[in-house]
Amino acid sequence: MTDAPLTPDEDDDALAAEYVLGVLDLAERAEAEARIKRDPAFAARVTGWEMRLAGMNDDFADAPAPNLLPQIEARLFPVAARPAAPRRRFGFGLGWLSGAAIAAVLALATLATLAPPRPELVATLATADNRLAYRITHFGEALQVTRVAGVPAVEGQVHELWIIAPNANPVSLGLLTDRPLVVTYPTPPDGFVFAVSVEPEGGSPTGQPTGPVILTAKVGDA
Amino acid sequence: MDDPVAQLIAQCAAADRAAFRTLYRDTSAKLMGVLLRMLRERAEAEDALQEVYTRVWLRAGRFDPAKGRGMTWLIAIARNLAIDRLRARPEAHGDDGLETVQDSAPRAETRLIAQGEARRMSDCFATLEPDRADAVRGAYLTGLSYVDLAARHAVPLNTMRTWLRRSLLKLKECLDQ
Repeated sequence: MTDAPLTPDEDDDALAAEYVLGVLDLAERAEAEARIKRDPAFAARVTGWEMRLAGMNDDFADAPAPNLLPQIEARLFPVAARPAAPRRRFGFGLGWLSGAAIAAVLALATLATLAPPRPELVATLATADNRLAYRITHFGEALQVTRVAGVPAVEGQVHELWIIAPNANPVSLGLLTDRPLVVTYPTPPDGFVFAVSVEPEGGSPTGQPTGPVILTAKVGDA
Repeated sequence: MDDPVAQLIAQCAAADRAAFRTLYRDTSAKLMGVLLRMLRERAEAEDALQEVYTRVWLRAGRFDPAKGRGMTWLIAIARNLAIDRLRARPEAHGDDGLETVQDSAPRAETRLIAQGEARRMSDCFATLEPDRADAVRGAYLTGLSYVDLAARHAVPLNTMRTWLRRSLLKLKECLDQ
């Protein structure tokens, strides 16, 4: 075998392959992930290798999985359990009203339900001196996170946003950069905690916060 | 192309929770197989499975059916999470690598020989030296790192890396033909 060094092109391709294969160590992996985010050509190489190596996916045998949907849905859709009951009770209390009045009330209620969603403040994450602050609003089916004070993380680092359900592990919602972060998410219920940690460029390499947590806010404490 | 998994992911991107349940029902056994093989501990694999589907829901909007099949995308998410967790583990689980690599022989290629993709894969693996093909498979299927591979093949880490990089490029040349 020839030991001629690889061309820069081959070198990039080999790195993308090593990343998909998973042989890199944690630091190299984090570096490759950061590159995927900023270098579309490299990202395309990674996708190419994912497709190429997918020929091995048939080698993974099925294994019976327990039904973990309840836990997963509790993480993702906690509001499902929130009672709509008060409104219904209110409805019962209207029994003495004339039919026409009820119709009018229902029409109003329908209008209110159909009105386009308005951004609703969910939480503000801020340092005590307010030098760094992010505002989280909920709009339609999505959370929008905007930095309202301060600057992004220093070069080579990034702020990562997490949501933490009671007694659950943090789940990453994404990286906070100069543009507002928009992520599909139901209305987070009271008691859920948002946190911002400082992570290496590209985000936490482990899927859990690895750097210092600099901001936290509990939903409902705003 | 007919790809029911891709269809379900697209529905998840539109916040269709019923589609999400169907997706879990139809694909969780495969992803559990991936996580169990790589993480080798059931409790951790089950925890990882929850995380995988959480990510699938949150990232569904980024799935692009033009860039591959739905199942390929799901398995990439599961493998990436498993590899992140393996690399974050404290060093030295060198020995269990030995047993798992041996079972990474091409069992399924025979089972799914009709599938062009898998067959081409095994044809191209045949162009590599057997121990190098084995290293690529061991890494992909069981999450072996360069450190693990170097120990298993009893070569210095840099040698392993040179071997593997060249083998991957050779594999690409064959697969892309």
